[in-house]
Amino acid sequence: MRRTRLGLVTGGTFKTGLGVRLDADCTTEDLRVGEMVVIEGASNRYFGMITDMQLQATDPRLLASPPEAGSTLLAQALTGTVNYATVEVKPMLMLELKADLDEQRGPGPVRTIPMHFAALRKASAMDFDTVFGKEGGTNFAVGTPVPMDIPIRLRLDRFVERSNGIFGQSGTGKSFLARVLLCGVIRTRAAANLIFDMHSEYAFDKQTEDGHFVRGLRDLFGPQILVYSLDEGAAARRNVDVTLAVGLNQIEAEDIMLLADELDLTSTTAATAGLLGDQYGKEWLRQLLAMSADDVAEFCQSSGAHPEATRALQRKLRGVQRRAYLKEEAPFSLIDEMVAALGRGRSIILEFGRFDNPLDYMLVANIVTRRIRRLYQQKMERFEETKAETDRPPQLVITLEEAHKFLNPAVASQTIFGTIAREMRKYNVTLMVIDQRPSGIDPEVMSQLGTRVTGLLTEERDIDAVFTGVGGRSFLRGALASLDTRQQVLLMGHAVPMPVVVQTRTYDEEFYRAVGSSGSWTEDREINATDIWGKKQ
Amino acid sequence: MRIGEIVESTSTHFVAESLDLGRPPELGRLVKVHLAEDRDLCAVVCHGETGSLDPGRRAVRRSTEEVYDDQVYREHPQLEHVLRTQFTSLAVGVIDKEVVHQGLPSQPPPLHYSVHGCDEEETTRFTQDLYYFRLLLGVPVRIPVELVLAGHLRWVYRGRGHDEEWLQVAAREVAKLLKQDYERLATVLYAIERDT
Amino acid sequence: MPLKLDLLGQRITEMVQASAAEDRGRWVERARQLLDSVGPEQLRAKLEERVVRLPWLVGIPDGGVNGAFEVQECPSSFSVVAADGSYIAPDRHSPFRFYVLNTGYAVLTYGRQPSAVLDSSAQLYFQEQDLYLDPLVRSAPVEGARLSAKMCLAEMRALLEAAERVEGRPLVALRDGSLITWGLQTEDPAFVQERFLTEFLTYLERFDALGIPLVSYISYPGARDVVNSLRVWLCTQGDMDCARCPSADVEQFCRALREIRDRELFGFLQDGERSDVFGSKSAILNRYGLHRIHFFYMNVGGEVVRLEAPQWVTGDSQTLRLVQALIYDQARRSAIHPPYPPALQEAHEEAFISGSDRRLVQLLVERSLAERGFVYSGSAKSGSKRRRGV
Repeated sequence: MRRTRLGLVTGGTFKTGLGVRLDADCTTEDLRVGEMVVIEGASNRYFGMITDMQLQATDPRLLASPPEAGSTLLAQALTGTVNYATVEVKPMLMLELKADLDEQRGPGPVRTIPMHFAALRKASAMDFDTVFGKEGGTNFAVGTPVPMDIPIRLRLDRFVERSNGIFGQSGTGKSFLARVLLCGVIRTRAAANLIFDMHSEYAFDKQTEDGHFVRGLRDLFGPQILVYSLDEGAAARRNVDVTLAVGLNQIEAEDIMLLADELDLTSTTAATAGLLGDQYGKEWLRQLLAMSADDVAEFCQSSGAHPEATRALQRKLRGVQRRAYLKEEAPFSLIDEMVAALGRGRSIILEFGRFDNPLDYMLVANIVTRRIRRLYQQKMERFEETKAETDRPPQLVITLEEAHKFLNPAVASQTIFGTIAREMRKYNVTLMVIDQRPSGIDPEVMSQLGTRVTGLLTEERDIDAVFTGVGGRSFLRGALASLDTRQQVLLMGHAVPMPVVVQTRTYDEEFYRAVGSSGSWTEDREINATDIWGKKQ
Repeated sequence: MRIGEIVESTSTHFVAESLDLGRPPELGRLVKVHLAEDRDLCAVVCHGETGSLDPGRRAVRRSTEEVYDDQVYREHPQLEHVLRTQFTSLAVGVIDKEVVHQGLPSQPPPLHYSVHGCDEEETTRFTQDLYYFRLLLGVPVRIPVELVLAGHLRWVYRGRGHDEEWLQVAAREVAKLLKQDYERLATVLYAIERDT
Repeated sequence: MPLKLDLLGQRITEMVQASAAEDRGRWVERARQLLDSVGPEQLRAKLEERVVRLPWLVGIPDGGVNGAFEVQECPSSFSVVAADGSYIAPDRHSPFRFYVLNTGYAVLTYGRQPSAVLDSSAQLYFQEQDLYLDPLVRSAPVEGARLSAKMCLAEMRALLEAAERVEGRPLVALRDGSLITWGLQTEDPAFVQERFLTEFLTYLERFDALGIPLVSYISYPGARDVVNSLRVWLCTQGDMDCARCPSADVEQFCRALREIRDRELFGFLQDGERSDVFGSKSAILNRYGLHRIHFFYMNVGGEVVRLEAPQWVTGDSQTLRLVQALIYDQARRSAIHPPYPPALQEAHEEAFISGSDRRLVQLLVERSLAERGFVYSGSAKSGSKRRRGV
């Protein structure tokens, strides 16, 4: 006999949450920690999350001598009377119920609690619509509540407004989730995207661990996606639009600081780059690479740099210089064109080909992003002067993997990514960071991440980190711990009215049909330049 | 069918002398007293005893090697006249014009009125509502109410044609009332379980 | 206030010691030996000869003196009827003069179809003819011994009426207490005696006519009839002048015999055995005619009791056997020890008037008065007995 009512409120406080005694015929196994539920108060409807469950007994003696096996009458009589279950529910949103539908507003923050015996019930499709909004505009379904078939929608406009994080141990499906979200952003045109695709996963079809193929963004969205590559060789094999070259002239001292770990430089050595920069300005790197031993000595004399450090730096950077994508000089126009395309609503995926190691990834991402942000800053300043809509730069989301390398406390203050994170949406540029070690990210940066989507985390440090700056973390921990290892995430923050556990949408044929056009774009191998940069969508 | 006559009457219970020596109604059985035309007092039998009619006399051993058990009564025919069986019943409600009101009667039943057994239909009607369990469990008399209640539940279960559903609902009602005292509850429910 | 037992204790000890000093066992043994030595014919002759001069009651043997007769089997089915009575005496403190007689009876049937009938009947007497034997002059008030006699008559009547209703046979009628109404011997004027005896004997007639043996059962009998006969046997004098007893031995023996009772003498009887039958020489029996009362002793298993019956019972050997068998059977069925016939026990229970019953009668009288407008306050003493306030 299934009823929608689960139990009645029997206690609790505003601060810690409400205690609900489950009805006799409602079993704890029908519910899940992290599940969204609804409490019907007399004047308000409360949308909340189950944060804990307990088993109770009115008489502790029962626990010492539970019913004998075979005593079905006793066992069934005891359930719900002597032994009963309670759940803790933390209300997250409150809807004031108005008799006059015209006056009815949407749900808002919780300011009160219901009285005793208010009924708890499961959330219905209508409740989810009320909380998360209906389909349409930038509301994009990212999954369903765990046992149900009701879509939970993310407000992508709010999602892209601030930097975000996708977290979870390896194997929890972060890259699939990233694909889903990116598809959503692209489909709803919430923002333009720049994706630093370290392992060349996002653009084209890729074979998964299980052996089947998943579609790439280029296949789904065709000319809306531009694919760049660092690796010329790979570019020829794949359907890459542009091969990106990076010049030594584009490398700045701050990049060296960022790469200190990767290059295995001491801080002194890394700092030497700064001294070189002071001395030689933009030419510092070429100068350094061309220096003879004497030049080094001379330089050290005048700048106070350490000779050995300088020589070490020179050695290391000579190694870097040999990379195929690094030219003596590269025009910034390549990057500027990227910005132009982004300005027209395109999304860009930068593949790294064979250069899929952290060093190259970080170096190039830093350089590109620095340039792009500078351009955006200029555009924004101009827009503020003219106030003409056409001058407003479109929202840009930069997708960054292995985020902790860029945003750890040691370097966060120095990299452009740290700056972007801290600036929030000042220049319409935000980050979408993907990482499995949130504890590696600078807490200040973490607290700036508006929306966090996290899969299962087991390290205490990581769990603490992911909740930095989130209110009510104590009850959300229970929800986090209850996640399945695959395809279940806890969604919280700016883009959702209340935290919610979601079974993410499967990235499959059905999804492809839902977001993209039915046709595959891989057939059109020849895409000419005008097509990319000439037309406006 | 008359089974006894009231010889003591109080607000909470009455004592009746059984018409059959040595065979009072079963423990836990539902009985009734016709108070008026269509007004019956319902009660649950909670105690039975057989003893001397005259309180000054006590039963003494009468059996011998050859004469024992029911033979004793043949051997001493006066016993049937000097012994009597009494049973105590706890008042649990009134059926007034076919409407059941569970609770203590407003007045104790009159002395010397007859006690009758309740038939299947009356039992089913009265036991639809289980509020009266509270009366049985709250009575301050020196009898083990748990076992009386167990007997009562068994008896009603049979009287309602082995009504499993009713038994489960009744068991839960008892659990609710005895939730603070698991041992008493277990006494009641194990007693029923062993028998059905 | 409570009785001061400590003052009595000493005297009780003295009393017991006084009787223990006698070494009764030896004398009882000697008395039995003496009994064995009796020649019944000669004793009868001796007794007849001296009966007028004897100040004591003696028992005249019908046959032997020291016989012991085994009990026989009971019939397969039989009945026993018994009656008893109890009264509320006239109360000096009551505004009315009245007395209440309550008779109880029990009919117990054994055998193939065992059954029992127990009942009682009460009557209140307040009219002049009931309260005084001579109502015209208000003399001879019915109280004390006269009331007891009235009670006895009521019991006999109840016993007879109950017996008449019994269909099954054989049937024996039992009552408790002697059938020898020696209490009436002292009554004067003679018509008092007459009045009682006529009715009494009528009942005995009826029992005889109905063929229902009537027996009275006396538990823990204090009689010394047969022992007294032994003293006569012992006496060597012709005129029995005890002051001038010739033999010191004889005098000592005779004096010892004075303390011995028949029940001790007949202690030799085994379980269920009865003694020989003796006739009583009580003067009142001269008026009994055919219903002269004889007696014998019997061991009912625990004590030796005295049984009395009219001669038409004791003289018929078959009836006597039946009586002995049924009485022993009753004793066997007794729940108490020493045994007492259940029929008599139940009749007694039926007849018994409890303290609360007595008070109820009083209450009824008072209420009746009140209904008629009289408030009775009672004598001060009775009031003080009822309400024992401090």
